[in-house]
Amino acid sequence: MFELTGQPIDSTALRARLARPDAGACVVFEGWVRNHHAGKPVSRLEYEAFDELARFEGEAITSEAEQEHPGCTVLCVHRTGSLGIGELAVWIGVVSPHRHAAFLACRQVIEEIKRRLPVWKKEHHSGNLAEWVNCTTESVAGRLAPENYYARQASLPEVGAAGQARLAEASVLVVGAGGLGCPAALYLATSGVGRLTLADAGKVEVSNLHRQILFTADDVGAAKATVAAARLRAQNPLVKIEAHASDVTPANVRALVTGRTAVLDCTDNFATRFLLHDACRSAGVPLVSAAVYRFEGELNVFRPDAPGCLHCLWSGRAPGELEAVANCAGAPVFGPAVGVLGVLQAAETLKLILDLVPPRNPPATRLVNLLDLSTQAIERPADPACPVCGNPVSAPPQRTDLPDSAPVVLTAEQLAALGPVRIVALLEPGETLDASTAPAAAMALPMGDLVSVRELAAQGGPLVLTCRHGLRSAALARLFRAEGFRRIYSLGGG
Amino acid sequence: MTASRQLHIKFFAVLREQAGVSTLAVTTSARTPTELYAELVATRGLTLPAALLRVAINDRYTTMDTPLSPGDRVVFIPPVAGG
Ligand SMILES: [Zn+2]
Repeated sequence: MFELTGQPIDSTALRARLARPDAGACVVFEGWVRNHHAGKPVSRLEYEAFDELARFEGEAITSEAEQEHPGCTVLCVHRTGSLGIGELAVWIGVVSPHRHAAFLACRQVIEEIKRRLPVWKKEHHSGNLAEWVNCTTESVAGRLAPENYYARQASLPEVGAAGQARLAEASVLVVGAGGLGCPAALYLATSGVGRLTLADAGKVEVSNLHRQILFTADDVGAAKATVAAARLRAQNPLVKIEAHASDVTPANVRALVTGRTAVLDCTDNFATRFLLHDACRSAGVPLVSAAVYRFEGELNVFRPDAPGCLHCLWSGRAPGELEAVANCAGAPVFGPAVGVLGVLQAAETLKLILDLVPPRNPPATRLVNLLDLSTQAIERPADPACPVCGNPVSAPPQRTDLPDSAPVVLTAEQLAALGPVRIVALLEPGETLDASTAPAAAMALPMGDLVSVRELAAQGGPLVLTCRHGLRSAALARLFRAEGFRRIYSLGGG
Repeated sequence: MTASRQLHIKFFAVLREQAGVSTLAVTTSARTPTELYAELVATRGLTLPAALLRVAINDRYTTMDTPLSPGDRVVFIPPVAGG
């Protein structure tokens, strides 16, 4: 909650308003009027606010802090009018069950108030001089000059002022604030990526601390995305950092991915990796993916416009099957291995933004081994028959080792016998829904929109895919069948 | 007719641990990565199902039924998902 007042602030009364039986901590920040500023003596101050806007912005700041630090209640009061030396100019109180979240939220609120609140102060210096100062210049961000912060990077001929501007305009999503995501996000933030979103539903555990370098012992039990975002804001207040402290799902993935300059896959599972990959591909966003096993790691960059996708790599293998051999919770891991791979992800992402990827570099999986310090590039040719990035001329044979081996490809009679079904016509660019090739009941989706297909398949009930020649729909239906969606079919096709 | 050929094998991640080495030079009559992997299952105690692996020959992903030539560098790559 935020208030503006022309009356002296009564901190005791404000603290009483925050009292809550479940609160174990109350962190209070008081901003006082001091008798000097920038080397000049000050005798008193006058605060003037852009009233409506200040109330709106102040309310936004306090509610953002409450959202990002669950359990915290925030109250902030800002003075206007004439204040003498020693008077309270701003008061922020945060109560919470535990002190750590309260400290973080309180720090966040004062920095955001200083950065965003439309308040000016008139300093009365001894003598008759007075000057108006925009308070935003007093925030940490206001004191940092970007040209100084990025000086040693922008002076690289490959970066320059133009490159630094491109970074400032970039928007990057990092999924997974773990061993890979922490170092990756740290370097993206310090390099000046303008908008950075961290997505992770997890909480910090003691056993994370040896490799997840954005977290301290105090953070155990707190939401990873929130703590990491606070840490990154402190590291570079010049960039906008957002926390998404919940899972990435088929329902929210498009909103998270669309409009990004790049997305980093720092997850530890194939289900999220496939979901991100498909969403990135249809939104036209490059995906920078890494994974680690003990002392070794691999790095892949999937560009949405080029053939050679994640499905080409693991086609026909279900995420669950891959998961079973790839990883298990609590698996041993060498801290620097995730560190190196996470930093490589940041480097590849910065290179994408700055257009520093060598031309005609064929897509490759980069294998890294920290034990013998070897790296190896495995060229990643596209599968011409890939149902996602290629042109299937004949659908791959149906697997018979899956729990439900009902036929994937249906005839019109088999379709009729299935009862009520949802039919999806997958359209190539420029193609329109055509009664001669698709049943009347069909809804249309763009061919590349695997996220929607996945969402519809997950809703249960039979789902029938069609397309002009039936080849791609059959190949996609087989791909989804292999992923474990049992009631997905194709009407006609190879 | 089955000729034997000398190959250079590299293992990645869990396969490296199961094989106990990261590289291996073998002389084998295996004609494809599928046959080669079956041999390694027998001789090195590898346990991952072949259907879940990717293979690269001479630094390029390929299929498990690609013919092997003498001197080929073969890498077996299992799925990896730690983060
Ligand atoms: Zn593909």
